[in-house]
Amino acid sequence: LGLTSPALAVLLALAAAAAAAGALWWWRRLAGPGWRALVLRAGLLGLLQLSVVSLVFVLANRSAEFYSSWSDLLGTDHGSAAIVAVGSGPGQVAAALRVLSSAPVATAGKPRVAGGWLETVQIQGQLSGLTAPGYVYVPPHGAQAWPPAPAAPRLPVLVVISDQLSSQDAPYSAQRLAATAAAQIAARRLEPILIVMLPARVGGPSGPADQGCLDVPGGVQARTYFAQDLPQAVESAYRVASPPGGWALLGDSAGAYCAVQLAMTNSQVFAAAAAPPGEFQRPPGPAESGGSAQLQAQDNLLWQLQHEPMQPISVLFTGPGAAQQFRSLVRPPMRAGSISLPAGAWPLAPVLDWIGATIGPPS
Amino acid sequence: MGLTSGLFSTLMVTLAAGALAATVWLWPRVAGRRRRDLGARVGLLLGGQLLVIAACLVVINGYFSFFGSWAQVTGTAAPPPLQLAGAGRSARLIQITASDLGPAPGGGSVLPVQSDGVTESRPPGAGRGPAGPSHPGPSHPGPSHPEPSYPGPLYPRPSQPGVTGTGGKLPAAPQRQAAAAGTGPVQAVRPGQPGPPAVNGEVLQVSMGGERTGIAVSQDYVYLPPQYFQRAYARARFPVVLALTGYPNQTWSIVKRLALPATAARMAAARKIGPAVYVMMNVSPALPRDTECTNVPAGPQVFSFFAVDVPRAIAQTFRVQSGRSGWAALGYSTGGYCAAKLAMLDPGQFGSAVSMAGYYNAVRDRTTGDLYGGSAAYQNENDLYWRLAHLPAPPVSVLATSSRAGERSLPGTLSFLRLIRAPMHGYSLILPQGGHNYRSWDRELPQALEWLDKRLSPARPRRPGARPWQPRSAPRR
Repeated sequence: LGLTSPALAVLLALAAAAAAAGALWWWRRLAGPGWRALVLRAGLLGLLQLSVVSLVFVLANRSAEFYSSWSDLLGTDHGSAAIVAVGSGPGQVAAALRVLSSAPVATAGKPRVAGGWLETVQIQGQLSGLTAPGYVYVPPHGAQAWPPAPAAPRLPVLVVISDQLSSQDAPYSAQRLAATAAAQIAARRLEPILIVMLPARVGGPSGPADQGCLDVPGGVQARTYFAQDLPQAVESAYRVASPPGGWALLGDSAGAYCAVQLAMTNSQVFAAAAAPPGEFQRPPGPAESGGSAQLQAQDNLLWQLQHEPMQPISVLFTGPGAAQQFRSLVRPPMRAGSISLPAGAWPLAPVLDWIGATIGPPS
Repeated sequence: MGLTSGLFSTLMVTLAAGALAATVWLWPRVAGRRRRDLGARVGLLLGGQLLVIAACLVVINGYFSFFGSWAQVTGTAAPPPLQLAGAGRSARLIQITASDLGPAPGGGSVLPVQSDGVTESRPPGAGRGPAGPSHPGPSHPGPSHPEPSYPGPLYPRPSQPGVTGTGGKLPAAPQRQAAAAGTGPVQAVRPGQPGPPAVNGEVLQVSMGGERTGIAVSQDYVYLPPQYFQRAYARARFPVVLALTGYPNQTWSIVKRLALPATAARMAAARKIGPAVYVMMNVSPALPRDTECTNVPAGPQVFSFFAVDVPRAIAQTFRVQSGRSGWAALGYSTGGYCAAKLAMLDPGQFGSAVSMAGYYNAVRDRTTGDLYGGSAAYQNENDLYWRLAHLPAPPVSVLATSSRAGERSLPGTLSFLRLIRAPMHGYSLILPQGGHNYRSWDRELPQALEWLDKRLSPARPRRPGARPWQPRSAPRR
């Protein structure tokens, strides 16, 4: 009669019912004086209790399946088994970051000073499965991970999210960003820094692009791409500081929500974010919260500031405008400030200086 | 009166026994033919029955450590206030609420660790399997990172505030140093008496504050191996195994019923595994709610708590490694689901996981409530079958255990393993027979720990020739 068999439960139920009926039926007969009646009373009562408690145990055990058999209950099972590897041979992992081309960066006004390199790259996300084209600015003295140079410092990393990377003259174009950084580094206003530049719309080969750098439920896993795949890929290719602390974000108007959102939800990776002020109440582009009011609330960064713990990050709003509502909700350890961009050809120079100062020098 | 206090269970058992005795005693007095007597008979039987069942429930709850307090049963437990000493980056995220718990309190028998002839006769390094890295996952050619250097002092440190253990435990009292300095085989310390930590290791009770999620927990435990306190390892960083309970469960049951510290200490003493730090935590930081290690939309971010906050808090307080080569997760039942999920969703933090009798779907029932913000798509993302079928496989190794007979989880475990594909690696440990209980998991634990040990980067003693399990000279501080 198995411990989990229905027959045992039925048997115990019948026994309990019989004992209860017996006690009530023979109550007067067992009520007599003397030891014999006393022992019979105690025995019948014990039988009743035992069968009811056993029934409760057997039913509870059947529903939760703690013990599967009598030997399991009594601890006499001693069988063991070997650990078996199942399926999956060695995985072929393609290089996560592929350098397609590389060009020297000229520093404005000082042509003889080495400005570093601007590389055209393709970054493949292992966990998200997304691939995006991008640029990497490598400062002078390099940051190649191979061959390893133990003494070489680990560079801090700035991730730029912008949809103007490929244009020629925009402040957020890859060329201008690289030139700005090179000029600031040459002038010693900025410590050497690696700049990874990616488009704001990251999507699969066929699927729709995501504009908010979010993990769309059941869809594009852009947050995973930026917060998990990207550090992994960059670390595999360059000598960079390990997150957090040495990583920052910079967005243009298309990447502003991305930059601030990623820093707020992944402060273990990104310590700072700079972006033009905006609403930050919903991601750009179509709603992607899968019809969930809770996910939609969470995508509102002002809601997050009001309901979630403050993250240990620094946010800089790059004028014009100052995102007053956002800043009024910020409490320590989070910090927020604003800066108005100078006119001229290099509006982002002070922003890069701030980022360099916030995330610290190469270590 | 505490739900799990000895006084309460004694009281319940006494009441039940008293009710039975009273029934036998009062039997003749209600033997009349009146209707009132008939009702009294039924009442006596029923009342006694209820008391007996209640007493059984209290005793069984104590044995399995389902619930630790009345507030956890009723759900009125106020979340412990998040108290961080200091602020910003220097905040102390872990408070040690009790030490001197000994290596395996309540477990009896297995400890203390004793170096016997068997371990003495083995050359250092024997019994550890093939040397060298044996990580089956794809190697990441990234540069190795320098050890993180946190400004705060690591445990142990002199004159530590917040340690409420008895006696001058840290730094070691003179007699403890003397015991650790013994050159012969280290004698077993009397059972029930915690030995010096350099011989037996130490189990600490901790409270932990989640810096990024705001979740705070208490009455979790950290086991530090003896090597942690030995001079040869004074600068070594140890690998970490995050061990998670089932639901509902008290964390203490990992120490008491699963006997994880005792088993790990025994196996490390026999040189079957290397020393590691075991962080033992309740899978549900908000009992009685079953949170399934999920980042609840607009709710508690439980996944991030375990994946981000706990590693940071542990690294801030103890000399441990960082990242996937130094961290693994292990759990049973709900904790098994969580362990597998932690590795699959955050392979940068957890390189491997052991799921003992776990399940792999995103549960939604009476105890969980809606964890997925009403979104079926988000629920899918928490379903590990769905992830394996629809997302790229993560570069982690998962050991899934179950039983041929006696485990409902068998079909689910087998189909989970079937879905695994490169670069993920699946391993199975299927017992011929065993139910959903600690006896089965106890039998699986030694193999699971050896499997984990092969995937964690070891703590390296300073002197290459040093016998790491027993220093030649006394630990100096």
